[in-house]
Amino acid sequence: MNRITKLLGALALGLVLGAASAQTTLVVGTVAEASDLDPRTTYDVYSYQRMYPIMEPLLVFNTDLSYQPRLAERWEWADDASSITFYLRQGVKFHHGREFTAEDVKYTFEWMLNPENPAANPGLYEDIKQVEIIDPYTVRFHLSGENAFIMNYIARLHIVPADLGENPDFGRNPVGTGPFVFESWTRDDKMVLRAFDDYWGGRAQVDVVEFRPIPEDATRLLAFEAGEIDLYHGQVVSSALPRLEQNPNYVVQRTTGLGHAYVGMNLRHPVLADVRVRQAISHLLPREAIVARIYQGVGSVGLGPISPDTVFFNPDAPQYDYDIERARELLAEAGVESLKVRLHTNENPVRPQIAEVLMFEALKVGIEIEIFVEEFGAFIDRIMDTDTADFDLFILGWSGNVDPNYAMYELFHTNGGSNYTAYSNPALDELLDLGRKLPPNSPESIEVYREAQAILMADAPFAFINNTEEVGLNQAYVQGWEIHPYTSATFQDLHKVTKER
Amino acid sequence: MTRRLFALALTLLGVSVIVFLLVHLAPGDPVRIMLGEQARPADVERLNRIYGFDQPLPVQYLKWLGNALRGDLGVSIRSQTPVVELVGQRLPATVELAIASLVLAVLIGIPLGVLAAMTRNSVIDLASMVVALVGVAAPNFWIGLILLSGVAANVSWVPVFGRGPGFLAAIGTFVTSLDVKPLFDSVRHLLLPSIAVGASIMALITRLTRSQLLEVLNLDYVRTARAKGVRDLRVVFKHALRNAMVPVVTIIGVQFGALLGGAIVTEVVFAWPGIGRLIVDSISQRDFPVVQGSILMLAAVFVVANLLVDLSYSLINPRIRYA
Repeated sequence: MNRITKLLGALALGLVLGAASAQTTLVVGTVAEASDLDPRTTYDVYSYQRMYPIMEPLLVFNTDLSYQPRLAERWEWADDASSITFYLRQGVKFHHGREFTAEDVKYTFEWMLNPENPAANPGLYEDIKQVEIIDPYTVRFHLSGENAFIMNYIARLHIVPADLGENPDFGRNPVGTGPFVFESWTRDDKMVLRAFDDYWGGRAQVDVVEFRPIPEDATRLLAFEAGEIDLYHGQVVSSALPRLEQNPNYVVQRTTGLGHAYVGMNLRHPVLADVRVRQAISHLLPREAIVARIYQGVGSVGLGPISPDTVFFNPDAPQYDYDIERARELLAEAGVESLKVRLHTNENPVRPQIAEVLMFEALKVGIEIEIFVEEFGAFIDRIMDTDTADFDLFILGWSGNVDPNYAMYELFHTNGGSNYTAYSNPALDELLDLGRKLPPNSPESIEVYREAQAILMADAPFAFINNTEEVGLNQAYVQGWEIHPYTSATFQDLHKVTKER
Repeated sequence: MTRRLFALALTLLGVSVIVFLLVHLAPGDPVRIMLGEQARPADVERLNRIYGFDQPLPVQYLKWLGNALRGDLGVSIRSQTPVVELVGQRLPATVELAIASLVLAVLIGIPLGVLAAMTRNSVIDLASMVVALVGVAAPNFWIGLILLSGVAANVSWVPVFGRGPGFLAAIGTFVTSLDVKPLFDSVRHLLLPSIAVGASIMALITRLTRSQLLEVLNLDYVRTARAKGVRDLRVVFKHALRNAMVPVVTIIGVQFGALLGGAIVTEVVFAWPGIGRLIVDSISQRDFPVVQGSILMLAAVFVVANLLVDLSYSLINPRIRYA
């Protein structure tokens, strides 16, 4: 056979094979690469996003934050709330063929609670005193009763197979019960997942999922418009949204987010310790203009620590409109004629701009703000170092507020782990402690957190800037994907997504 | 040669100390950054203890150095992956892009420089110098963004981002099965990033070739050659260019070494999975083992590349010799 015939033969064979193995590949763009796929040791959103299609928690959040059963079919609280019993789904297989049982649940949670293990956030689970196996499909969590929102944290932990969990390679070669099997991973380039034929919820609609990290926002959008990626969530170039929303080939999804940015005030500072000064600073933020111009219309004005779309939000808590006159009055009442403070933030596309707006507005009332923009690592070190507390004002954010306890306790309780402002109000502490003991979503619980917001907003340790909005893009030929307000979980239903071109 | 190798080892030891001190003394705590704004003090303390960051710096350094000498550069805090593996995964992409950019720069830069020198002060000379000036002055990422929005967005076979199959692997596929698809895929992915990275080097080479050649063309031996009636083209290519190439080769060597550190910004713009992104990400995450290990490995490559360049002078110009 001469060379040309060989070449033609190869081409023909390629075409035949290509046609025979036609498979649907869903290409998902992401903002950043995952660090590791072990749900126990990882904390970042981009790792969790890839984990959801591979591994599953006992339950997950629906997009309205109600619960959806996953590996647990149902659950039952003890009457005195001292324990919760999960009834597990039967006949669920891990990707390596073994059946999922209560052993795996016990193993995963006990691993988290062992202080010798490098778990990322075991504090979320410390309310669990004991995990008891009743039978292979029933497992009971005995609780200390200190945190009624424990379900929300259980919903964030994916179950690790007990026989593979000690494998040091687990985070790079994860095995779960999810609709997709981990296949390969070339960091910064491509992660490939393949549909799991034995998935308990039915085989996924697409055959292959590829995660492609594209760090540059402009490139990611171009790749989407060129059809090289099918969908992505987050960091959509805001100025392009009006154009994208007009285009029938694209679907722009937007939903209220669970995070916010704020100006924090150091209450150790003698002048900032005066609540009137903090209220005055809160009045200096032109929030509507900031959302419209700096955030380019993505998100809404900041009204407090709790997302305005949830039942816990208190619409009657004190608010601080942009009001220079009122700020002046408050400063006069406090006897402050001039004030010089520093404002620290990190090199983020929007925060330095907000800092400049605040600096400009503050000058009108005689407050001189000096801005310091630092690299994130140095900045977070400065803010978290409570011994030196070497800052006055700072701009930072908070995210993942699936419940009011998560949104408020660590930031504002006197003993909160993230209470960098050194804010302390015994009345608020009492409410935040009480809220943890009441049944979640009960009228009493809602009442407690509404009152807590009223106290917090009056004390103004933070000037809330915005409430985030999540934005996702998908090609019109991709269907069945709904972006999730809890960003980590945005790909939890990827097996329902179809792609027909 | 022994002396040079000794100096090489000493350089690397110096690099290891400096990198270690820089990453550890700079503000920023890897665990705080990993856990983010929601880090709890107790978790930060516990994880720092587990990873050994609570020990005195000299102890940490000696431990790390001891392991490094045995070829173990440690494990990433973030990804729990051996540093050698993390660097190894990126190195082919980085080397591929570096070579493609240099090849492009040399293939365009040297002929353009020669042309400019031979047509000195003409329109051609002026035009090539303008091209070179733009190449030097325009930042890589800007050229990258222009190429993306101008070319990739409009030409369907030019991809916007990412890397295709490895070039060497694609050649292998072609040789064994005559399948050109992977090769084409590899090249089309390389095209824009290598132009973006190569533009400034091309410009540098053009200017250097031109000026060196002009200098050499004024030397006595060239005049002698011309007096003997040797034709212009032959004078340039046979007699002058070789001597003019010494500094150009130096530049190519140095640039290759620098490119092995990753064309950081270009890698971000084109989502190229190279070593620059690894280093920048691990610096911002204070992933100490990765920063230390990858920079040490790169330093080693850089020093060796420089040594090779020095040795190559004697090939171009036999008068240069090394003991």
